[in-house]
Amino acid sequence: MEFEQIYKTYWDRIFRLCMGFVNDYDIAQDLAQETFIIVWQKLDTFRNESAIGTWIFRIASNNCLRQIEKEKRFPKSDLPIHLSEEKQHSIEPQIQFLYKCIAELPETDRIIISLELEELKQAEIAKIVGLSEANVRVKIHRIKEKLTQKFKENGQR
Amino acid sequence: MDNDNNIDFKDLWKKQSVSPPDMTDLLARVSKFKKTNLRCLWLTNIFLFATSALIIFVWSYCQPQFISTKIGIVLMILGVLIYLTVYNKLLGNYKNIDANQTNHEYLQSLILIKKKQNFMQTKLMNLYFALLAVGICLYMFEYASRMTVFAASLTYGITLFWMAFNWFYIHPRKTKKQQEKINSLIEKFEEVNNQLV
Repeated sequence: MEFEQIYKTYWDRIFRLCMGFVNDYDIAQDLAQETFIIVWQKLDTFRNESAIGTWIFRIASNNCLRQIEKEKRFPKSDLPIHLSEEKQHSIEPQIQFLYKCIAELPETDRIIISLELEELKQAEIAKIVGLSEANVRVKIHRIKEKLTQKFKENGQR
Repeated sequence: MDNDNNIDFKDLWKKQSVSPPDMTDLLARVSKFKKTNLRCLWLTNIFLFATSALIIFVWSYCQPQFISTKIGIVLMILGVLIYLTVYNKLLGNYKNIDANQTNHEYLQSLILIKKKQNFMQTKLMNLYFALLAVGICLYMFEYASRMTVFAASLTYGITLFWMAFNWFYIHPRKTKKQQEKINSLIEKFEEVNNQLV
């Protein structure tokens, strides 16, 4: 598969995964770009052992995890106020609320639910995260319950 | 059928507005990324290599007579070389973590690397300092032996004082800060990794 084609096919999906992880439009865009830089560098090492989607989502989710290090280095609260100003990108408050809730989950749960919402098979999610399929199923169930609960509490229905 | 009580999370999820992919922007970042990486690698290397080059220059130019001087020079260069090798290896490791691992494996690699970094900042720095200190003392002996006793003790006194100051005052303060940072990071990565157990 050509890089350009991959880029066009996966940009939206990777961006949403990153957005679910950090819930910050600019950081998510940075993370997505970093992901594609890695993809671009490593494309020739990709062997067709796994699906290309699994491969890309692994890179993306690992890159999100690495973001934790940067977060520690530059905590958001240290930024001048005008920089952390929220930009209004999403139209519906419900969408914003969903992403906010997801970004508040434990780190690996954010990845798992994002992949589920991207409609990846649970077997594939298991391969990306490194859990058993049964474990993934249970986790997805619990996360969805948690999200539903938050939506109810917030009166978003 | 989703058991999410009729809230269609998937639909909401996909409605997130997405920044349009911009290929030129990406390519610009690729080249910038390469440049900064290289600069980082070169700065430390150039500095340490210059030190070694200077020492070698002194050796060939001043033609030391004593064996202690030569041993001193070898020890200093050895210190620099060991430090350089490990530093470069670690940097390479860090940049080349296989991104195509499961999150679980990836987190473990991150933890391992951070632990190695910890080792580097403590044990390896100690070794580096020790080699350098012993090396300098041996190196100075030949020249000090030609001085008066007073001048020689003054030279050694100042040098040893400066080393002690670095070792007991500056070094611990610097490493303490870095260590705290790395340890908190290891802790965080371990916490995330435990979410997967």
